[in-house]
Amino acid sequence: MTTYQFFTTAWTWNSIGLSLVILSCVAYWLAFGRQGRPLYFAGAIVVFLLAMVSPLSALADGYVFSAHMVQHILLVLIVPALLLLSLPRSFSLGPPLTYFNHPLIGWIAGVGAMWLWHAPALCNAAATSRIVLAIQTTSLLIMGSVFWWQVLAPREAQRLSPPAGIVYLFTACTACSVLGIILTFAPVSICPVYQQPVDRLGILSIIRGDWGLTSDRDQQIGGLLMWVPMCAIYAAAILAQMARWHSSPQPEQSNA
Amino acid sequence: MNEMTTMAELRDVVLDPAKRRHYQLAWLSTVDHKRIGVLYMVTGLFFLIVGGIEALVIRLQLAVPNNNLVAPDTFNQLFTLHGTTMIFLVAMPLLFGFVNYILPLQIGARDMAFPRLNAFGYWCQPFGGILLHFSILAGGAPAVGWFSYAPLSETPYSSSPGVDYWAISLFVLGLGTISFAVNTIATVISCRAPGMTMRRLPLFTWMNFVNSFLILIALPVLNAGLAMILIDRQLDGHFFLPFRGGSAVLWQHIFWAFGHPEVYIVVLPAFGMISEIIPVFSRKPIFGYEFVAASTVAIVVLSSLVWGHHMFTVGMGRALDLFFIITSMLIAIPTGVKVLNWSATMIGGRIRFSVPMLFCIAFLVQFLCAGLTGISHASAALDWQTKNSYYLVAHFHFVFVGAIVFAMLGALPYWFPKMSGRMMSESLGKWTFWLWVIGFNMTFIIQHVLGLYGMPRRIFTYPDIPGWGWMNMVSTIGVFFMGAGTLVLVWNLAVSYFQGKIAGDNPWDAWTLEWATTSPPPHENFLALPPIHSRRPLWDITNPDRPDPIVGDDQVDLPDHNKTGVLAFLFSEVGFFGTLILAYLYFYAHPQAGPGPKELDLPRTLVFSVCLFASSFTFWRSEVALHKQLRGSMLGWLALTIALGAVFLGGQASEYWKLFQTGVDLSTNMFSTTFFTLTGFHGLHVLIGLITLLIFLWMAWQGDSAFAKFDTAFKCVGYYWHFVDIVWVFVLLTVYLLPLLR
Repeated sequence: MTTYQFFTTAWTWNSIGLSLVILSCVAYWLAFGRQGRPLYFAGAIVVFLLAMVSPLSALADGYVFSAHMVQHILLVLIVPALLLLSLPRSFSLGPPLTYFNHPLIGWIAGVGAMWLWHAPALCNAAATSRIVLAIQTTSLLIMGSVFWWQVLAPREAQRLSPPAGIVYLFTACTACSVLGIILTFAPVSICPVYQQPVDRLGILSIIRGDWGLTSDRDQQIGGLLMWVPMCAIYAAAILAQMARWHSSPQPEQSNA
Repeated sequence: MNEMTTMAELRDVVLDPAKRRHYQLAWLSTVDHKRIGVLYMVTGLFFLIVGGIEALVIRLQLAVPNNNLVAPDTFNQLFTLHGTTMIFLVAMPLLFGFVNYILPLQIGARDMAFPRLNAFGYWCQPFGGILLHFSILAGGAPAVGWFSYAPLSETPYSSSPGVDYWAISLFVLGLGTISFAVNTIATVISCRAPGMTMRRLPLFTWMNFVNSFLILIALPVLNAGLAMILIDRQLDGHFFLPFRGGSAVLWQHIFWAFGHPEVYIVVLPAFGMISEIIPVFSRKPIFGYEFVAASTVAIVVLSSLVWGHHMFTVGMGRALDLFFIITSMLIAIPTGVKVLNWSATMIGGRIRFSVPMLFCIAFLVQFLCAGLTGISHASAALDWQTKNSYYLVAHFHFVFVGAIVFAMLGALPYWFPKMSGRMMSESLGKWTFWLWVIGFNMTFIIQHVLGLYGMPRRIFTYPDIPGWGWMNMVSTIGVFFMGAGTLVLVWNLAVSYFQGKIAGDNPWDAWTLEWATTSPPPHENFLALPPIHSRRPLWDITNPDRPDPIVGDDQVDLPDHNKTGVLAFLFSEVGFFGTLILAYLYFYAHPQAGPGPKELDLPRTLVFSVCLFASSFTFWRSEVALHKQLRGSMLGWLALTIALGAVFLGGQASEYWKLFQTGVDLSTNMFSTTFFTLTGFHGLHVLIGLITLLIFLWMAWQGDSAFAKFDTAFKCVGYYWHFVDIVWVFVLLTVYLLPLLR
């Protein structure tokens, strides 16, 4: 198999995932109709499919740790953010769920989603078992949503104030960077499955040979992805907070 | 400085010997932010001359080929002292001096949040400076370069105590800097005038506020590294000794994780100065305040992601190189945004070419050059060729001198009238300006060429290679211009201080609050504050018919400054312990022969840990009792807290004792080095907490009168105590519980 063949054939359209996506689209339309912001929702669906169906998913499935990391970042940071943005401005949580509306819980969910699933045992399990993978995917989406709720909640009143939002995002960025640094410099494999992949698709020779991706370098890139591009996402969110802060409405010119 | 009111008072009381003695001592015992600011600046100026003389000798040695003015080892000591002095004893105190003087005035505060902490922070400066230079008398100055790379800086290769003095001095200076940053954060958050909301802060204040966070991120990392190298040298540890299992590259990571943010720590206050001066002398508000403010935040976030570009030649691997190239290039964006905003502020303005503005214009040009050569270094391939050549020397001198020193030289005549009540001489100022512009560019532009011709840095002399001789001579001659410029500056300061034109409150028609008070300001800073509704309150007063747009609402929330200060301090402690824990993990991943985590007694430690965690609970009960004014109950819970903390320390001591009994001490192997360092520093923090709690116990025991007052203070101690417990959670996880997974 060549690289080209791999990227054209390794799309894993499975029926459960697809039907879930279609169902959620229908549910979104029924729930919000014209009030919603379908572009963001479509974005969320596209990114989700990119993470779960595209060759990225095939690579993340026990072959390449850094592909797993991209998948992880998309699921915990990008998809939930787009989902929250797609909610209509009038949306708010029902009473039992407001329990989650605490910055500390959001922070622990966001940082925990990174740390927890990179404990070697859990990371291995997710890369080998379909069920664990499904649990992982769901939990990442939920934890990511709980994390982003603090800064992207549909109602302004439910969000953190911009300065608090900056502190929230910055500390989360630091906590994830530390994990990234550990992954980058760890001399041992964090997720041993990726060290000796079971070559089900016959692409290991491409990965190790054509792409030159040894397992050490793979883990290093994975750690760097968690460290640098992820921090760039947080940094962008921090700048968005600055923009929100400085564009908050001017008072009436009564003092002038 | 020449505080008019104080001088008048002095004349009144000149016959009262007691008061006179007090006045003589007043500069030593002062806690007034204005005087401390001046002290900072005088110290910085003094060391500028010291570091300048060191530079002069270096350049004289290099003026001609095959020179032997100084011996090779002396040369090494000179460039080490020059670099360390210029960064830690010149740039930082001078900038902090300006901040100390101006920042509280700009936000309408009476003083810094913690005046005595402020004095402590200042006195760390001369103390650190003396420690560093005392090494010359104590057996030789450090000769390892300002970044003191291991293993050269380790005892086997540098046996004189120079590196020890270097490390202790930087540790002391680091403590002073951290206390300064804590103070700045607490001042800005908790001491603003009515109407001075965070969105209306002058850019100088905003940038220094944001910069203080960067200090709290970066300096503790250096302090942890310094502690490690001192442990290596004094207690026979081997953090950075490769032949004992340590890692020399780890030192580079730690140093540059501090070192690169450090560049921004000294450049952001300079950016702040530029952002004040350019609008005033262009008679326009700053173009895009929001962009300048937000790009500062972006710089702070990105600056802690780029340190690897100092290490491209170490062999970190292509993946790491690539990511650090990208982040290093990214950081050019927020910096470029600033340059564009400053330039756009000048466009269409009625520019007054006074001395402060001249320095700002030179800053813009030179900083642009510095940025461009900086981006060229971000490319690893080019960096491999130019690393450790004079091209690099030229680059960072463009940043430190061409940008930072020029900004300060501009800020000095700008704010001198406020500090002294008198204007600095324009004509002498222009002499300084031209001497510096000519001297600086003469010295450093040609060094780019020298570097590209292949001249390495840190060589004490060079053979007579065609071209090198005359280029070095040109470079050396430039130094004399800068030296002459500095002499004119000192002369200008002296003359203007005694005979300068009386300035009045607002000689530059500026718009920020420091110009709303007298020059120099009275001890309490302001008699009355103008109303604040925009970013330029003084413009609004002088132009009531066309005031600036109102920014946000007037509501100002001021959290308690004690809590803010303690939280800021604890934020810095996170970096310190984080570095120690990461160092522990780094060596844990490479197990060595000899003692390891298996020597530790987990069940016993768990029992003692429960004691420590329980002490957080008992402290909370004590706090509740204090709140309810139940003195007996408060004393009881507090005593129990202390007892539990002491039991924990006793447990730690017995664990140490057991290890010592089996022949394991700090020098045995990497495990013992990292274990004793990490748990030792934690134990030290517990001990300090216990002493603080004992003081509170004693105070509560002593009298009921003060009892009600320490509610907030007690809460702050609580923050510290809980923090120490949380650190132990992480230490317990990494040191004791992680091995269970193996």
